[in-house]
Amino acid sequence: MTTLITAAGAEEDPQARTQSFITRNVQRTVLPNGLTLLTKEVHDKPVVATMIWYRVGSRNEELGQTGKSHFLEHMLFKGTDRYKKGEIDLITHLNGGANNAFTWLDFTAYYFTFASDRWQAALEIEASRLRGTLFAEEEFTSEKKVVEEELRIGLDGPWEVLENEVWAVAFREHSYHWPTVGWLEDLEAASAADMKAYYDKWYHPRNATLVIVGDFDSDETHRKVEELFGAIPSGPEPAPFRLVEPPQRGEKRLLVKKETPVERLIIGYHAPAVAHPDSYALKVAEALLATGKSSRLYQRLVEQDQSVTKADASYHDQFDPSLFYFQHELKPGFNLPDVERATYEEIDRLKRGDISPGEIEKVKRQIEAALVLSSEEPLQQAMLLGQFETIAIGERVPADSRGYHYLDTLSDRIAAVTIEDIARVAKTYFTEDNRTVGYLINEQGAGERSSAT
Amino acid sequence: MQHSQKLGTRAKLDVERVELPNGLVLLLSEDHTVPAVSIKAIVGAGSRFESDDRAGLASLVGELLDAGTTTRNSKQIAETIEETGGRLATFGDYQSSGVVVMLLSKDVALGLEVSSDLLINPAFPEDKVQQCVERRVAQIKARLDIPRTLASDTFNEIVFEGAPLHRPPLGYEQTVKSITQSDVLDFYRRYYRPDNTMLAIVGDIDKEEIKSTVLSTIGKWERTSPFQPQQVPKAHRQTSPVTEVVNAPKEQVNIIIGHVGIERRNPDYFALLVMDTILGSSPGFTSRIPRVLRDEQGLAYSTFSNITSSAGLDPGRFIAYIGTAPENLDRAIAGLRGEIARIVESGVTQEELDVARSYLTGSFVFRFQKNSQVAEFLIEAEIYGLGFDYLERFPELIRAVTIEDVNRVTRKYIDPLNLTTVVVGPVDEQGKVVEKEGVS
Repeated sequence: MTTLITAAGAEEDPQARTQSFITRNVQRTVLPNGLTLLTKEVHDKPVVATMIWYRVGSRNEELGQTGKSHFLEHMLFKGTDRYKKGEIDLITHLNGGANNAFTWLDFTAYYFTFASDRWQAALEIEASRLRGTLFAEEEFTSEKKVVEEELRIGLDGPWEVLENEVWAVAFREHSYHWPTVGWLEDLEAASAADMKAYYDKWYHPRNATLVIVGDFDSDETHRKVEELFGAIPSGPEPAPFRLVEPPQRGEKRLLVKKETPVERLIIGYHAPAVAHPDSYALKVAEALLATGKSSRLYQRLVEQDQSVTKADASYHDQFDPSLFYFQHELKPGFNLPDVERATYEEIDRLKRGDISPGEIEKVKRQIEAALVLSSEEPLQQAMLLGQFETIAIGERVPADSRGYHYLDTLSDRIAAVTIEDIARVAKTYFTEDNRTVGYLINEQGAGERSSAT
Repeated sequence: MQHSQKLGTRAKLDVERVELPNGLVLLLSEDHTVPAVSIKAIVGAGSRFESDDRAGLASLVGELLDAGTTTRNSKQIAETIEETGGRLATFGDYQSSGVVVMLLSKDVALGLEVSSDLLINPAFPEDKVQQCVERRVAQIKARLDIPRTLASDTFNEIVFEGAPLHRPPLGYEQTVKSITQSDVLDFYRRYYRPDNTMLAIVGDIDKEEIKSTVLSTIGKWERTSPFQPQQVPKAHRQTSPVTEVVNAPKEQVNIIIGHVGIERRNPDYFALLVMDTILGSSPGFTSRIPRVLRDEQGLAYSTFSNITSSAGLDPGRFIAYIGTAPENLDRAIAGLRGEIARIVESGVTQEELDVARSYLTGSFVFRFQKNSQVAEFLIEAEIYGLGFDYLERFPELIRAVTIEDVNRVTRKYIDPLNLTTVVVGPVDEQGKVVEKEGVS
């Protein structure tokens, strides 16, 4: 009944792709119950990284119930029908491994790294907690306090506070409106029953990808995965989740007041989703603006104007359109509007196509090299494979870039970006009407109060 | 629970150590897994050598290494490396300073040439010194915006009084403002010398080829006179308890409890590593402090303790940390102090010892996954005389630790009666929670 499509019968693409070294030797298999399995057997290092990715994150949550995806991630360590609370950590520990998990807008992922002579415990644990997680009331209650403390750390971080506000203002309808940890008030109201229902909705083989990278035997591993995961019912078809943020009709501005010695600025522009044709030119723009000390923003704001301690631009691959955003930390004595204006001047240079061929070549090499320099460990490779298998899906993504194959076409797509492309995407996305600007300023009188105590 | 003690048989490093004619120690290890190389050129100097009135100097000197050389300006330095897709950073911290480069293996010669230029010919241009001072002043302000950092700095000021570790690595606003170009040049000339420098090159290299490149680059760095390492004052363990409360308008209270710790060369290091794993340093929530305070009582997201991770040339610190809501303040302090007292008074169990040893021997291999980690290890092995076969010997060193060893070192190095307690958050000097304004 649970016949596995073996590696030989698995999707083997003989046609020559531009293979990245990360995707080399990857085998992709889909079990009859819908679980996607990516394995990459590589014997350089005596370790194995095991990850499981669920296609559910704060994006899938509802108003009034924010933060559930992240809370659920915590509950997956609190006991299953096979492992008592604490046992997952104890097994990891006894075997000298490491485990952790993370939740973000589009996904939740769990991982283990073990020496290769004892790594299969990871498979057994993931198979058990895929459907067997318990939601004991007392565990839920004590973990809720832990999650609240995690959220408070963010409330004490000046960047997090400003970032949350900018996303909340930029996204009116889409669920990127709220932070992954959720709103404190929603968290306080959450119940174990809510958590269980959410788990039952999203944690199924057909909504999951298992990724294994490292020093193991592929055939034996495929058999083991079939044995452990094959009998798990495939579960309901994941509900289609379609939220569309309508185009922004004018600049949005906001202020956050906080006692802080350093003022900060975020400018966010709505920007397209992963694998969108324009996303590659935007990645090149991101590196051009902010990768390294030779980058435009470093040279302008840190070296020339000397107005900031940090100048950054980020554009992440997301399931749905998200933000391309700038983050600057000001030096005392400089003011936010000047730094904001200088950023626009640098953006305008891109719009004019004021970029030399040498500069664009440098940036492309930086992007290419970063993939190599950040992928030495099996876990780092598993992260990339799992991430794109989870988010680069659907008709919107060109067939040759779908799933983990995104990494195969990435280099060519980046290489094809021209100066004209950068100018065009800058003009399309970096417009006044499309942006949200947030200032973090020092709370009035805060200095007086602290000196009085 | 039975488990294999066998480590992957390939957990072994092939290291070559060469002392160049100018006294520089070269450390090489090949790994052809990924077409990349990590270069670390580390000078044995840092803020432990600076004076209180120039606090922050070593850090500035380190940061200014890429601000220009006799033949390249700062932008040219950045462009030279970044054009290859590589990354370069320079730094100065407590006991070491230097240049760190990551690049594709085809560019390794260029990486070496630039690293050498930065170490041998830095220009420390006047305008760049001034610019760096101003940026540093802002960074010092921004740093104290993070409550955990503020708590950590406050703690260090108390427990390391009289020793260089009491100072924050970046220095103070006033001392940094007073630093001039001539201070920078003096520090550089005094400590940046080939016979006080280690160069680790790890990754997709050919050792023979790289040696000749090294000789023609950093090998040209002239040794003027033999470097004499300088003695620094040692911190002494406190003999009475201290409590310090810093009022800050935050959501959480950040608490650090502890005292002076140990040097890395201390022979009890391994027994203390086991103790750390049992008390508060395991990943996950197996060790006592996270298990009790986080998993059972739900007091915190982040709580841990540690004595070995800060062990260096000078004694580091033993600390227990927690970040929690202000209303939990008393329970959190009592919880941390209680666990510290319990392990000293009652010791550890055989089962705890077994679990900790198993974890430490099994997880060690993960510290050697990346070229940069291996390079870091080579430098540490050189500084502390660990031996390059340390990777093979480590499991034996840990397995040799007995329950008596753990209990003895715990009693010897942890003093529950004489702890410094620092609290940062919305609390007044009496430790009462301050209500937020405008909140009902």
